[in-house]
Amino acid sequence: MTPIGPYILQILFDSLTLGSLYAMGALGIALIFGVMRLVNFAHGNFVAFCVFALLVPSTEVTARVFLGALPTPLLILVILAIGAGLSMASEIIVFRHIRQANPVTMMIASFATGFTLQYILLFLFSSRPKTVDLWAGISTPVTIAGAHIPLLQLITIGVTLVLLLSLTWLLRRTQFGIEMRGAAEDFMMARLLGVRANRIILAAFAVSGFLAASIGLILVAQSGTADIKMGLPIMLVAFVSTVIGGMGNLFGAVMAGFLVGLVTTLLQVTLPLELRGFRDALVYAAVILMLLWRPQGLFASATAKERV
Amino acid sequence: MRKVMKIKQTWHGLSLCASLSLGLVGLGLTASPSQAADKIVVGMAIASSGFMTAYDQPAAQAAKIKIDEINAAGGLMGRQIEVVEADTKSDQAEGAKAGLAVLDKGADLVIVSCDYDFGSPAALAAQQRGKISFFLCAESIKAGIQGVGPYSFSASILAAVQGATMMEWAYHKKKARTFYQLKDTWTEYNKGICDGFDWMESTGSLKDAKIVGKDTFKNDDPSISAQISRIKALAKEPDAIQLCTMMPGAPSAIKQIRAAGINSMILNGSGVDGNYWINAVPNLTNFFVPVQGSVYGDDPNKAIEQFNQNFAKKYGARPVTQYTYPGYVLIELWAKAVTRAKSVDSKPVVAELEKMKNEPTLFGPRSFSAQLHHQNQGLYLIAEITGGKGKIVDRWQISKPIPLDALLKK
Repeated sequence: MTPIGPYILQILFDSLTLGSLYAMGALGIALIFGVMRLVNFAHGNFVAFCVFALLVPSTEVTARVFLGALPTPLLILVILAIGAGLSMASEIIVFRHIRQANPVTMMIASFATGFTLQYILLFLFSSRPKTVDLWAGISTPVTIAGAHIPLLQLITIGVTLVLLLSLTWLLRRTQFGIEMRGAAEDFMMARLLGVRANRIILAAFAVSGFLAASIGLILVAQSGTADIKMGLPIMLVAFVSTVIGGMGNLFGAVMAGFLVGLVTTLLQVTLPLELRGFRDALVYAAVILMLLWRPQGLFASATAKERV
Repeated sequence: MRKVMKIKQTWHGLSLCASLSLGLVGLGLTASPSQAADKIVVGMAIASSGFMTAYDQPAAQAAKIKIDEINAAGGLMGRQIEVVEADTKSDQAEGAKAGLAVLDKGADLVIVSCDYDFGSPAALAAQQRGKISFFLCAESIKAGIQGVGPYSFSASILAAVQGATMMEWAYHKKKARTFYQLKDTWTEYNKGICDGFDWMESTGSLKDAKIVGKDTFKNDDPSISAQISRIKALAKEPDAIQLCTMMPGAPSAIKQIRAAGINSMILNGSGVDGNYWINAVPNLTNFFVPVQGSVYGDDPNKAIEQFNQNFAKKYGARPVTQYTYPGYVLIELWAKAVTRAKSVDSKPVVAELEKMKNEPTLFGPRSFSAQLHHQNQGLYLIAEITGGKGKIVDRWQISKPIPLDALLKK
């Protein structure tokens, strides 16, 4: 039997890895919700689209690499740029024109955008999952205090922390970030104070797409698989995390993402086998209880309550 | 998209033509041109668009190869088989419409989607019209009498048989004694494989075999690291991991298991057969699945490799997985039953199908009974993935069929 210390450490890393993916997803959704009250259900499809950009479009069963053949630094830059570009394109082509519509209309438009992207991928690549061998070496386990942690877990946690710190710096220390935070808190007031709506919303979409691409790269490195529906489960949890964190609160969304990752992992570890299949049901039951206790979310922004 | 290949004729019309033909033959008259229209209609209510296409089409193409062979050999009871198709669009509601569409075109047999959930609406439509339906490759007990009705069959082998086969084989041929079960709770198919593992252990026939731990995950879990940590926490690495999963999540789970340094042999169902996903886990080794025939070019039965080559010649690529083969098998079995019944009427054909006990087919023996229209025992080839390549290493048939009570969990 593995000693209890390393096992707990292993579980901690498992929770942080899952939480990192959820936190990045939640932040991507919260950024856009903050500036234009849009719950972007196409976010998960952005993740899948970025992953498929690594492959040559083909309905043949064996995948051929396309951008996946680029040297690693260039590959990362190009995929992140594709994520940001796709997200910005969705704002320019779709969401900008319905900004004044009610939130339900915008939400339906985001569903439609997501389905369109999914069917484009289905048409180009077929429904059979494709395999991509990306950075095989980073799955090697490393030993930390007796716990065997796959290197990719450490990279996932590290990348998430770096992204979050960079974004915090961007939001706190740059004019651009201050405008975005202001817009997230109270968009109308921010506009009255001179914040340019198109510019700030487009920037939010770019950062959101950048985060979607990051999730895509981590997922494909971990699973070795590209599937047209691959971003959707994370998107759903990410959306729930933004609600738990308090709609419009970026810090809350990130914290809630980590919290959902922790609760999911702990339930997986502690539940008896018969109940483990109901793990997600219990996670969502906990979400309902939490929302009954704090409907505005755990870290609600001052202006959020009346909007939600 | 609806694709109609040729003829549109009602059953009454067919019956009348058949009666007239028989009468003319009885009078010693030669065939008239009108007899050319006296065809048997096979309806395919399957996906030609949407995500099920990749799973339905290969088996449907195999069925068409067998139909072509029958037609080239003079037809079924001297009548040519005509195929009519309707697209389920990978949608359950559309599935029912597609079923009705091919029935309206006079289908005597309705071939439905590979998956129980997607195929059952069309199969139910056939059942209501008193027509035989065959699931292309569904492996749930529900794909048949239990989930549709007495005219419904499946062309594949139950998922539970796959789990039971792998455990018994690994015990006898690989000396595996400790097993760890990791079940993906997404589909009935996955649960069925694990039910097979459980049943095999419960029979007590593998005396010192033990499932030392069990865990669950979901096919789309972004990470199964918590499940892997639990395996790593075992006192000793198990001899084999019983993995009950399918695409698209399977490569991710397998990759994560191997990345964590767990080298136990992995046993799965047929759902992960094929070469196309293997480069997701570079140099994957010690991985085994049961298959009805080999897509790797090394099937011990030369006729199966010949089939693979014919398939490639006709459709431009070799079969990707073993799920191509049940399409061929179903036409083989149904055509035999029709010949023996001397009719395409459902009742006598079902009676003939239910009489089949170890009926030989190109892909192994098949049996049906009045209680079960599925295979609760089957001769499997064992495929091993080693060094990132698939090959056939053995064959195995479970020592006794899985009883219906165990399949229904009574």
